[in-house]
Amino acid sequence: MTTATRSRFWHSDGRRLSGLATLLLLLPFFAIIAFVFIYPLAQLLFISFFEPKPTLDNYARVVANPVYTRVLLRTLWTAMLVTGLSVILGFPVAYYMSRVRGALAALVGVCVILPLWSSVLVRTAAWSFLFQREGLINSALMAVGVTSEPIKLLYTQGAVVIAMTHVLLPFMILPIYGTLRSIPNDYMRAAAVLGATRLRTFTEVILPLSMSGVASGSLLVFLTALGFFITPALLGSPQELMVATLVSQQIREVLDWPFASALVGVLTLFVTLLALIFSKTLRFDRLMGAQT
Amino acid sequence: MKPALDRGSLALGAYVYTVLAFVIIPLVIIIPMSFGQNDHLEFPPSGFTLKWYAEYFTSRGWRNATWLSIQVAFLTAICATLIGTAATYAMVRGRGQLASLFQILLIGPIIVPHIALAVGLYLFFQTIGLSGTVPGFVLAHTVLALPFVVFTTAAALGKVDANFEAAAMSCGATRWTAFRLITLPLILPSVVSSAFFAFIISFDEPVVSFFLSGVRQKTLPRRMFEDIEQNLTPVIPAIATLLIVLSVAILLGAYAMRSRARS
Amino acid sequence: MNVNYPSDKVQAAGAAVRIRRLEKRFQSVIAVDGVDIDVSAGEFLALLGPSGSGKTTILMSVAGFEFPTSGSISVGTEDLTYVPANKRNLGMVFQNYTLFPHMSVLDNVAFPLKMRGVPKAERYARAEEALATVRLAGYGSRHPNQLSGGQQQRVALARAIVYRPRVLLMDEPLSALDKNLREEMQLEIKRLHAELGITVIFVTHDQSEALTMADRVAVLKDGRIQQIGPSRELYERPANLFTAGFIGEMNFINVTAEGSGGNISVLLPSGERWQLPASAAVEPLTGCQKAVLAVRPERLQLGDAHNGFTFRVKVDDVVYAGSASLLIGTLPDSTEIRARLPGASDLSALALGSTAVFTIPKEAILLYPGAAQ
Repeated sequence: MTTATRSRFWHSDGRRLSGLATLLLLLPFFAIIAFVFIYPLAQLLFISFFEPKPTLDNYARVVANPVYTRVLLRTLWTAMLVTGLSVILGFPVAYYMSRVRGALAALVGVCVILPLWSSVLVRTAAWSFLFQREGLINSALMAVGVTSEPIKLLYTQGAVVIAMTHVLLPFMILPIYGTLRSIPNDYMRAAAVLGATRLRTFTEVILPLSMSGVASGSLLVFLTALGFFITPALLGSPQELMVATLVSQQIREVLDWPFASALVGVLTLFVTLLALIFSKTLRFDRLMGAQT
Repeated sequence: MKPALDRGSLALGAYVYTVLAFVIIPLVIIIPMSFGQNDHLEFPPSGFTLKWYAEYFTSRGWRNATWLSIQVAFLTAICATLIGTAATYAMVRGRGQLASLFQILLIGPIIVPHIALAVGLYLFFQTIGLSGTVPGFVLAHTVLALPFVVFTTAAALGKVDANFEAAAMSCGATRWTAFRLITLPLILPSVVSSAFFAFIISFDEPVVSFFLSGVRQKTLPRRMFEDIEQNLTPVIPAIATLLIVLSVAILLGAYAMRSRARS
Repeated sequence: MNVNYPSDKVQAAGAAVRIRRLEKRFQSVIAVDGVDIDVSAGEFLALLGPSGSGKTTILMSVAGFEFPTSGSISVGTEDLTYVPANKRNLGMVFQNYTLFPHMSVLDNVAFPLKMRGVPKAERYARAEEALATVRLAGYGSRHPNQLSGGQQQRVALARAIVYRPRVLLMDEPLSALDKNLREEMQLEIKRLHAELGITVIFVTHDQSEALTMADRVAVLKDGRIQQIGPSRELYERPANLFTAGFIGEMNFINVTAEGSGGNISVLLPSGERWQLPASAAVEPLTGCQKAVLAVRPERLQLGDAHNGFTFRVKVDDVVYAGSASLLIGTLPDSTEIRARLPGASDLSALALGSTAVFTIPKEAILLYPGAAQ
């Protein structure tokens, strides 16, 4: 028998699957991704460039019309704000989570993970109620005497930012927790033996080592926030659209598919580009791993 | 000498529990509101009634939406788990560039905004008649759930020594038998737990469902969206309460599976 | 009973294994480079070499877990080169036991019989029997994680022999065990080998393990066989410089060798000239060339013993180690010399920095062309 008839493609050489088996096992995955993921997105891109004729007008409108550039900037700014807030709120929680043991650890873990696996709609509905004119926040503010009559909270950008931070916070906490947990306790002991105070140990050892978690959490939150739809659609003002809500409006109300496609194109390309540039930083395995 | 709790630790604890309160209170506060008698939402709720639950369970619209979502989520869990486990096995035990292409494509559904996929599928499924159908929802949700299935399964498969299968084969087992009798039982808890996750991802998925839902075929999240947008009635807290209970149950199930996997 | 495993009649007979011109490339790396090995039926062969020498690749090719780039492998009269691993009917023991953690010990041992369609009652009876062979009778209902490392490896052994394969392959099976257990298991495996008459191919990087266990040892380096032969031959007359340095301890002294035929004269760094018997040259020498004089540390004798050449060594260190003492010293050209002296030797004269006289018996000297580093 010759080598040619025994290529690795047709035959497993024992421990590894043959190329053929690898292909067959991956085929359903490739098929569904091609059919239900790549094709629909490619079709949108095609429309944005070629409908009704080859043109860049749709993109020109996105970039040149101040109404739409304002939407782009608002989206960017909101995503940055949400990311920043998530770091400020999330880091201490992740740090605390990595330090406590036993029942406390379980309590903190449940508080972080339960929201992650409960419906975005449930959480948005809760905020919608809290922000209502007669909602809990307004009642509380009036009871304390901060204000004499209800403030408009619902349908403001502030409400969107707060609710989005609430929804995305676990995506910040878990990657940071993942890196913090992987720092061996001996590092802390070593720093202490070498004469560092607890604060110095934190700033000189823990903080630098946790930065990769902060980076991957921030990227995850930022990228997700850029395309967020449900929360801005339910809590935001129709006068202050974000990219996703603008897309929805263009499709469902204006029926301007080419322009909506261009918006989707800009959003998707921007997000993909960032993800590619920072592909080393994004560690999804860590997100799932930290939940165990 | 054990140092007493210092101010730094106290401040950290206070800060952390404030943040956790911010995280958990909106979820918790919605539960008592589902028992309030008034037609508009208020806190604290007045009186006690189960009529909103009754309304949810008797309303034809809510029932249909729930049933559709259950069907879709169940089928999604099966599809995503089968496709994802097969692909993960090929990635971990297979060879060649296919496996690395797989890893790149896998990140896609996480990175690309759901609104983009939703709009793309809205257009595509409309033209081939899959819009608002169970297969349409299942296909879309399977794509969204696959990365989570793969990450969960890959972590488990990575812990199974490749030599187990080699040993089984040296004992005379075919690769399929080795997988069925050795590898699969060892990763099964993680596979089942990833099916739970796929179920809840589909069941709670709002964005793609929002665009793919037809006038009659609406998933539960889509109906909830409309209800929150138009008239926030106490049916929503009732459903939210049920969904939170479901999440807790599924999480407990998934973690029970994982701790079995570890022992 | 109508079952398709080798019947008891062939049980005692191991099969011969023939490896011909075996070559295995991984992309541009050549892991095995034209290896020929003949293992006779019932022989115990050890494959010994540093990591990356290709020993494991050879074993995996025999087991069917690697397909060679070229060459052939046959067991008995059967060409197995490209037969899938599960159809080879060879027994295999892995480094990390690889007992299936979700099955009981008995189910683990019965697994190969199950794969061969042996009925349940018989397969458990035979599994019990195999467990008894490795002295673990009664452990069947336990789970692998309830056993010690040594016990787990015995179970793995039982699983590998339960269907009476004609060849048993072992991939560093003892490297995960601690020293005492390892020695115990070495004897156990030798006993099994003698009892079953099975052919054994045993991969190890531990030379003393290879020398004590195997009938013959194949020394490998960079995918090629350096030497293959009985332990004694390997130790006492290594075929080349690599084997001389790899097996056991060896002193190397760079010399210039001259002459051929019946007489060889070597010029030492000190300027002395020794006349050696022709048998000292392991590989043929031609004319005048650089050569290495090799001698085992335990062959050096303290003082002038009048049966060989004497030379002077400056004493750098003396390490007492019970049964023997190790002397570390240097020649005038700073070549390091080690000598192992019997435990009862009088070491009082060997003060650090002093000069000691040693004798090398003529027959202890080996000469190789080339230079030691």
